[in-house]
Amino acid sequence: MGAGLADVTLNLLEGFKLNCIVFAVTLLCSLPLGLGLAFCSMSKYRAVRAVSKTFVWIVRGTPLLLQIIVVFYVPSLVFNVSSLGRPDAAIVAFVINYTAYFSEVYRGGIESISKGQYEAGQVLGMTKGQVFFKVILLQVVKRIMPPMSNEIITLVKDTALMRVIANKEIIMFAQEYISGQGLIWPLFYSGVFYLAFCGGLTLLFGAVERRLSYFRA
Amino acid sequence: MAILEAKNIHKRFGGTEVLKGVSFSLDRGKSLAMIGSSGSGKTTLLRCLNFLEKPDEGVIKVNGETLFDAADPSTHTESDVRRKRLHFGLVFQQFNLFPQYTALGNVTLAPELLAKDDPSYGSDKARILARIRDEAKDILAQVGLSEKMDSYPHQLSGGQQQRVAIARALAMKPDILCFDEPTSALDPELSGEVLAAIRRLSERNITMVIATHEMGFAREVASQVIFLSDGAILESGPPEQVLSNPQTERLRSFLNAVL
Ligand SMILES: Nc1ncnc2c1ncn2[C@@H]1O[C@H](COP(=O)(O)OP(=O)(O)OP(=O)(O)O)[C@@H](O)[C@H]1O
Ligand SMILES: [Mg+2]
Repeated sequence: MGAGLADVTLNLLEGFKLNCIVFAVTLLCSLPLGLGLAFCSMSKYRAVRAVSKTFVWIVRGTPLLLQIIVVFYVPSLVFNVSSLGRPDAAIVAFVINYTAYFSEVYRGGIESISKGQYEAGQVLGMTKGQVFFKVILLQVVKRIMPPMSNEIITLVKDTALMRVIANKEIIMFAQEYISGQGLIWPLFYSGVFYLAFCGGLTLLFGAVERRLSYFRA
Repeated sequence: MAILEAKNIHKRFGGTEVLKGVSFSLDRGKSLAMIGSSGSGKTTLLRCLNFLEKPDEGVIKVNGETLFDAADPSTHTESDVRRKRLHFGLVFQQFNLFPQYTALGNVTLAPELLAKDDPSYGSDKARILARIRDEAKDILAQVGLSEKMDSYPHQLSGGQQQRVAIARALAMKPDILCFDEPTSALDPELSGEVLAAIRRLSERNITMVIATHEMGFAREVASQVIFLSDGAILESGPPEQVLSNPQTERLRSFLNAVL
């Protein structure tokens, strides 16, 4: 008695829904937070720079897997406060991790814009905010599209790691077919979900890059 | 009457003094050419006038109003500086156009943003924006770029880009327009069109301060030439005097080198 394709599809979709939610919430939070952190890393105050650079160093220098476990267990075991739900803990860990990575992408982009662009805006009487939002930002977006696309596609695949705190994501569902029914193909099928999702994102990023090809920066 | 007075401008970077007490004044509608070898402080002086650098000592007055006084910190506040620098415009050696805007967009951007401070902006937005656009088109026509208004900077030649930069500065209606070696990033065949555009501005009596290596141009356009050497004015006066009858050995050898 094998499992039908429709059956497996529904089951895997159930798992993939969680991957998608974690992906979307992480992006929604980390994209703006990363920009904020990038500004902190470039702050004129040394203490602010030191704190944010240390944060980035720790987050990028330790495994995401470890961070997920820490976020889930440390609040209750060390600080005696009730721990987050399993999906929430995963999301918090992803947001922390990707905020650090995105901030470095932003920083690279912002620092690559020539000083002359800022000065040209300033001598025309623009405020610092106007210079950033009207002159600098779009050039930064254009320049960071390739590295940002990479990070975002990595995030899609990293969502698989949340199973380490027993979140029922898609691969966990697929694996149950192996242990339960000795079926291997759902495992490959789960890979197809990732492939399709990343394929879609690649097309989307390509479209954005084409939209921004009208100017050179 | 002098529209611009700079008195005793000093600027240090770390330990080295780059401007060592520069003073000059300029009458409304006249042009001043600034010459001097590389590293003599021309760019630094222009940057001080445009509040991109803060002089360590000295006073800058426009129309008799003290815009900057190193001894008076109340003249250094950030919001004030933004308003004050509108007395000056600056055309950079490297153009620094905004790549994501068309030629017209480069010219209208700052006036549009400034118009938002206007109390009548809310009620009169469409009319104000239309006026800014029309003025920008006029200015672009004056520098010979009517045909290129919708082109992006990367689609323009260096000479055309620099003329857009001139139009962009003019659109803010500065009292004094500064140029930092406006043609030295250009091939010789392209610099002619930029110099011609600046010449037309001087015919319209726009007050200008021009750092340049083009002695023929300085002679033709400027009513006053200053020779900067090592951060100080070594000679100044009308072009025929400074350029044809140098008094110092430094200026003589500089002129021999550039001619
Ligand atoms: N931000 C800075 N920090 C330190 N030194 C500087 C800075 N800006 C300029 N200088 C120094 O100040 C001196 C004058 O430079 P400036 O750019 O004003 O010369 P210039 O006359 O414009 O030269 P050029 O003809 O090459 O453009 C140079 O010795 C330069 O190295
Ligand atoms: Mg210079």
